[in-house]
Amino acid sequence: MPKLIELADGQARWAEDAFVHVTDEDAIPESGDVILSLARFEAEGDALLSSNSRRVGVRIESDQEVEVLAYDLPRIAVVALAFPKYRDGRAYTSARLLRERFGYQGQVRAVGDVLQEQAGFMVRCGFDAFEAADGATPEAWSKAASRFRHVYQRAADDRVVAFEERAS
Amino acid sequence: MYQYDIIDKEFLVDRSNEFRGQVARRLAGEITEDQFKPLRLMNGLYLQLHAYMLRIAVPYGSLNPTQVRRLAEIARDYDKGYGHFTTRQNIQFNWIKLKDAPDILDKLAEVDLHAIQTSGNCIRNTTSDPYAGATAEEIDDPRVWSEVIRQWSTLHPEFSFLPRKFKIAITASAKDRTAAKVHDIGLLLRQGRDGSHGFEVIVGGGQGRTPYVGPTIKQFLPTDRLLSYLEAVLRVYNRHGRRDNIYKARIKILVAALGAEEFARQVEEEWSKIDAARADLPAAELARIRASFAKTPFETLPARSEAFELAKANDSAFARFVRNNVRAHKQPGYAIVEISLKAQEQTPGDATAEQLEVAADLAERFGFNDLRVTHAQNLVLPHVKLDDLPTVFAALQAAGLATPNIDLISDIIACPGLDYCALANARAIPIAQDIARQFADLDRAENVGELKIKISGCINACGHHHVAHIGVLGVDKKGEEFYQLSLGGSGAEDASIGKILGPALPADKVATAVDQLVGAYLSVRTDGERFLDTYRRVGLEPFKEAVYAQAD
Amino acid sequence: MKAITANRLIDGDVVFWKSGQWVERFGDAQLFDENEASDVEAAVATGKGQPTVVVDVYPIDLIESEGRWAPVSYRERIRALGPTNELTHGKQAEGGDVVEALRHASGAARSTGRVDLIRRK
Repeated sequence: MPKLIELADGQARWAEDAFVHVTDEDAIPESGDVILSLARFEAEGDALLSSNSRRVGVRIESDQEVEVLAYDLPRIAVVALAFPKYRDGRAYTSARLLRERFGYQGQVRAVGDVLQEQAGFMVRCGFDAFEAADGATPEAWSKAASRFRHVYQRAADDRVVAFEERAS
Repeated sequence: MYQYDIIDKEFLVDRSNEFRGQVARRLAGEITEDQFKPLRLMNGLYLQLHAYMLRIAVPYGSLNPTQVRRLAEIARDYDKGYGHFTTRQNIQFNWIKLKDAPDILDKLAEVDLHAIQTSGNCIRNTTSDPYAGATAEEIDDPRVWSEVIRQWSTLHPEFSFLPRKFKIAITASAKDRTAAKVHDIGLLLRQGRDGSHGFEVIVGGGQGRTPYVGPTIKQFLPTDRLLSYLEAVLRVYNRHGRRDNIYKARIKILVAALGAEEFARQVEEEWSKIDAARADLPAAELARIRASFAKTPFETLPARSEAFELAKANDSAFARFVRNNVRAHKQPGYAIVEISLKAQEQTPGDATAEQLEVAADLAERFGFNDLRVTHAQNLVLPHVKLDDLPTVFAALQAAGLATPNIDLISDIIACPGLDYCALANARAIPIAQDIARQFADLDRAENVGELKIKISGCINACGHHHVAHIGVLGVDKKGEEFYQLSLGGSGAEDASIGKILGPALPADKVATAVDQLVGAYLSVRTDGERFLDTYRRVGLEPFKEAVYAQAD
Repeated sequence: MKAITANRLIDGDVVFWKSGQWVERFGDAQLFDENEASDVEAAVATGKGQPTVVVDVYPIDLIESEGRWAPVSYRERIRALGPTNELTHGKQAEGGDVVEALRHASGAARSTGRVDLIRRK
């Protein structure tokens, strides 16, 4: 199985990736966990989920809004947010909304042009799984995500903000 | 002034270490230039024509003597002995080496300076009134809010990869010295009818290829809701700003495309969903920040200073300096002093290491350790005793910092232009010098009065030519440097975008054209009218005729 | 005639291709005539394959000036010389014939190599 960097208890580690990305053209495998495009999920997601035998994830492109998933989120195991180019910053908003507005508890996965230099921002916005495009190891990812002892603003993570540190 | 605490200081050290690591990875080939470029831009490092340029943040234009002396050191040790102040109150060094940048950031961090987010598609330096804390006009000290925004916007994880750059300006006085209305967000501090404070929020102002005076998106935003509202604006922009075309990616394009009303509605809708308790700044933190801008320990002095009056009477140069460069202070016996970086034959906005040290000394000895940068590329000592003014003037004179031309025709804003900038089409500095030379006669310059000339070497408009009384835009016409003039722009509270005068002129005709425009103005102005006022009364035609009617 | 220019990564300095090396002075640059177009291409490709040495590699067009060759575009002449507002800064401070020839050159169009670079970006 391909490997994925996963964040658990603040630590990044390798994990076996049980999910298969299924393109719109491919047949959906008979069994096993799948990640579908939003369009495909809207068409066939219900059927897959009702079988209860597998987990289903949805891939959201950078120009798609996560709000459309709001109703289905409790049943979705993974939301994969795409970075077509690392400097397309829309997925950061999507991740925060999933976590903070919709209380999403499943896996928020970064896919596409995912680079360790942006690890810190991703972790703060609530991503907890990463298909790194630059050969990053979990160690490199952890290091990159922990460069700053302090943060100035609240986000989707549970880091203590500077003004809270000051007040304590 | 805001004092960095251990958290702020550790943040700068961590940032500097991060960049050191990124530079090492780049030099080792572990990341590509395409991947590295935004990282170095977010630390203020541009690759320009001759070397790297480092843009150091001067948050809301405020510096203390320790910081200024460190900048002088960096100018000497890592550059060619000078720095350049910009239209966003920052300072730039033109001759930096990439391999030195990590060391420079370390040295800056030691004195609470940095280059964080002075470039890149993120929230840039928040600029404010250089007279903050000194002018009687202000409703509240805008530096408090500037510092609030500075911290909130620093390494904001959601908003570090916006469609394009994002610039915020805050003003709290009726007279706008920040060009707030041509910023992505302009915050105008207002007093509500019940005495409470709020911001009139302007969104979608801008210059560049498509200049706009920004519309008011929210008439009165209570100040304690500032950060949640900014979050709403930035989120709408991050999601819906265009990413397909860098020339259409600023928020002004989104606001114009949706219309101000619809844009405001989308922001309100997003804002209503944001948890204020989590997003807005706690009152305790606001109070902590406010306390650091607490009262300057002014002495109680009479409004009139005999030493000052005597010097004015006896020294006409001092009198002229006072007329043009000195402004009223809220505290009796004090004054605001502008330091012109627009001396004849010098590069506008440049200061040598020696000049920086003089400014630091003066701020320390006579100015409560307070020095400001204006968006017109000049410096300000905001709190000087009238009694001390003759001494300060003498020191400025000796250092070539006493040119008495603030807001006059030779107080020209000019971007570095094609002499330095990889983006430029034409040079700006020699044009500024030509014009200043034409009006070297100080009596003549004073007679002309307030006349704001701004020169940009390309359409990116870093010289703010769109909001100039006379704007000059360098264009490339078949490989030759040509200049398009515009009239009637203003970056002040009466903001307006200038109108193009006519076909672009060759470099050697620009100063003459300005002369002709001034002549046209002088021939029809009525009492007390500035150039801008006369233009607004008589329109473009008389000026167009003055420049283009002659057979050339 | 053409030459090839780039910026050195480590210090941002303007450099020119010369037989597989990068030199700092335009006067030392390798010149390519009309028949050597493929050599120009090859050299540019080599330069682009050295991302830890140079960035922004592109060919520039030259024009004759005082018996020497100079960049046709004034932007490239400023890059080769230094800023016009401070003649003691940049490579122009060295003076000499090459600097004088560069100063006195005049020419129109932007270098096509530079235009292509911007388009591709």
